[in-house]
Amino acid sequence: MENRITKLFKRKNKDILSVYFTAGYPSLNDTVDIIDYLSKAGVDIIEVGFPFSDPLADGPVIQESSKKAIENGMTLKVLFEQLKDIRKITEVPLVLMGYHNVVLQYGEQEFAEICSQIGIDGAIIPDMPIEYYNDRVKKYFLKSNLSKIFLITPQTSDKRAELIDKQSNGFLYMVSSDSVTGANKSISDRTSYFKRINDLNLQNPRLTGFGIYNKETFDSACKYSSGAIIGSAFIKNLAENSLSFENVQKFIKSIKP
Amino acid sequence: MNIKICGLRESKNIKQIAALKPDFLGFIFYEKSKRVVKKLDKSILKYLPDSIKTVAVFVNQDLEEVTEIMNYYGFDYAQIHGNESPEYCKSLFLENIKIIKAFGIDESFDFYKLNEYKDFCEFFLFDTKDINYGGSGKTFNWEILNKYNIQKPFFLSGGIGLDNIDKVLKFKHPMLSGIDLNSKLETSYGYKSKEKTNKIIKIIHMKYIEPDNNGYYGEYGGAFIPEMLYPNVKELQDNYLEIINSENFVSEYASLLNDYAGRPTPLFYSESLSKKYSANIFIKREDLNHTGSHKLNNTLGQVLLAKKLNKKRVIAETGAGQHGVATATACALAEISCTIYMGEKDIKRQANNVDRMKLLGAEIVAADGGSKSLKDAINHAIREWINNPVDTYYLLGSIVGPHPYPDMVTRFQSVISREIKQQLKTKTGSEDPDYVIACIGGGSNAIGAFYHFINNEKTKLIAVEAGGKGVNSGKTAASITLGKKGIIHGSKTYLMQTEDGQIVEPHSVSAGLDYPGIGPAHAYLYDTNSIEVTSVVDKEALDAAFDFSKKEGIIPALESAHALAYLNKMKFKKNDVVVVNLSGRGEKDMEIYQEYLKDNNCKN
Ligand SMILES: Cc1ncc(COP(=O)(O)O)c(C=O)c1O
Repeated sequence: MENRITKLFKRKNKDILSVYFTAGYPSLNDTVDIIDYLSKAGVDIIEVGFPFSDPLADGPVIQESSKKAIENGMTLKVLFEQLKDIRKITEVPLVLMGYHNVVLQYGEQEFAEICSQIGIDGAIIPDMPIEYYNDRVKKYFLKSNLSKIFLITPQTSDKRAELIDKQSNGFLYMVSSDSVTGANKSISDRTSYFKRINDLNLQNPRLTGFGIYNKETFDSACKYSSGAIIGSAFIKNLAENSLSFENVQKFIKSIKP
Repeated sequence: MNIKICGLRESKNIKQIAALKPDFLGFIFYEKSKRVVKKLDKSILKYLPDSIKTVAVFVNQDLEEVTEIMNYYGFDYAQIHGNESPEYCKSLFLENIKIIKAFGIDESFDFYKLNEYKDFCEFFLFDTKDINYGGSGKTFNWEILNKYNIQKPFFLSGGIGLDNIDKVLKFKHPMLSGIDLNSKLETSYGYKSKEKTNKIIKIIHMKYIEPDNNGYYGEYGGAFIPEMLYPNVKELQDNYLEIINSENFVSEYASLLNDYAGRPTPLFYSESLSKKYSANIFIKREDLNHTGSHKLNNTLGQVLLAKKLNKKRVIAETGAGQHGVATATACALAEISCTIYMGEKDIKRQANNVDRMKLLGAEIVAADGGSKSLKDAINHAIREWINNPVDTYYLLGSIVGPHPYPDMVTRFQSVISREIKQQLKTKTGSEDPDYVIACIGGGSNAIGAFYHFINNEKTKLIAVEAGGKGVNSGKTAASITLGKKGIIHGSKTYLMQTEDGQIVEPHSVSAGLDYPGIGPAHAYLYDTNSIEVTSVVDKEALDAAFDFSKKEGIIPALESAHALAYLNKMKFKKNDVVVVNLSGRGEKDMEIYQEYLKDNNCKN
């Protein structure tokens, strides 16, 4: 079966909205509901975070949601159990996002296999370097038709961006600024970086993430990439409002009317 | 130690061997050699990893041909392996060609004549004397090299393979900087076995506790970092060795250690402990290092490196505050601004050190999250580094974190065992003790105290972890004893974690040992039985601290008291020589000591 991310980008390659949330937050069993609401609200890609105790690339909001999720009892095993029938509910591309140690303890091969059984389309594991992935993990991901999505940042050289592009499938996660998640560094002064990467004519589509939190930042990210990823802002919204389809839809509409 | 694999010629094999990341690859252009290259694919050289230097080997070849081949392929070095004269080398030198001059050695070799070559060469290479100019597969008597006393590094060559690598690694010479491997790794002429090469490279790296080019000690270490940190870490990986081995750095660092830190620190013979345990107990006085612990050895080195890399600001984590104080000190001296991240819990329990850091001009930021101790301070510092990747230098305080930190910090701390060796030699006539005992948090004082004794058959190396309230109490920091393999702070190692891979909050009364992981080098040394790992609980460490203070007039840091406490659990033979590394002094722990005294009033 064709990977849903690939399929999505064939159909559409601008104004893509991808939303991240931490599985197990606010409550342990919210995962399926949140996916359902997001997909009904018209989100193009959903990133399901599996929590880690020491999320190095994340700011306070995702640190906090991860901590709460762990306290609530979220583990990869629990998550896969929750997701086992998810493809009966939605055909939106699903990407898992979390840290390497959690995958390592689950088993890298087993992780890829179960993702493919469930119908997960990609994984973002920020602290799994590309060299390690190539040597040890790629074979399992290819077999499972699972995209490994890598990050590029303002400090990534052209040469490395090209290398990462060559090894990626699905999309490239373009980190908007030098920051951990949730920092609202202005992205308006990032145009030279966005242009630089744009001019490389990479083969994979790019989604911009980190510091995208409203319509304005979303729109400006879409100028130089195929779309954007919202994480901390959505989690904040979950923290401040009760979980319901209406609230989720309201949040999504505020970004993409 | 540089590793050179020589005599390759087939593309596929070149790629296989290059993937094992030796430091040098050699290609033979001597027509009469059985390993002469025939059609060497030029493009393949271009795609070798940057870290590998390529060498073309010539024997009495026409100068013009040499230059032509060097230029055509873009080799990094020419290895001149025949009877060429100093003038011959000079003319290549003048063409900007870097030279490794090889000599066949036998009993009658005249080392004096090398003086005429030394200015034109980067390295010498000493091979077994042979009419065919090398490749004989035979070794020579390396003891002859004791006559060689010119300041020019050399490669040792000739018949080195898996069967005799142990012997090679025992051979010591101050100028030995590389090992040249060829025929013994072959399956046929010019074709190297991937398995044998892999195995021997690993053995050599481990002897010197050096990670491979990707930062691995066996399966441990590496650099598991998010892409945001890649340029920062890569900059360090690419530059640290060249900078810290440069003449200029070596001499600046050495004078800082001597004149500023006050090294060498004494090795003190403890009469009372020796009597108590019926052995010869020596105390390595890192508490007398400036700022009161071994930590300054590392921070002086890294701040010097930060300056050479033109960094404008240093950030660091600290647990006990000793690394923070040492960082603030080195930064004050170097006039570079400094921010220290410290867990809230540690800010309270090591208040004295917080005041010192402030006085030294550092900014202190409370790291929240987790148990608000060392692990969380590292998380905070790493995030801060992600937020400021360009001009900020992250100064890690132990042998943890992504490559190259474990190796870099190891190198800076190795001064401890270098001194112990010399001091023991003077005091006991032998430089090797029976035991070295050190406490282990991340592992920097332990690796420093062990470094020059690793793989020495006589010396047992004992690392004492913080047992906390008991290894099975759920409140412990015994990371190797309880740990499973995983990834923490960019490095694969043993760590305390749940089945799901969540890192478990550690506990130790001593803030410096309160860490759920361990340096990857120690994980490897543990697996290969090169060190013994054990633990003592909070109370044992506290009691040892009181006992030692009263008997010796030295108030130890709570961390170091763990090493002292382990003496109680050991059985010595009468003439055993034991070195305990006293990693720091105890002023910072006065409040904890006071409280313990109050709680145990009747006893003390
Ligand atoms: C005096 C002292 N000893 C030991 C340690 C533990 O660190 P390591 O295991 O890296 O030597 C610390 C750390 O803060 C310390 O201050």
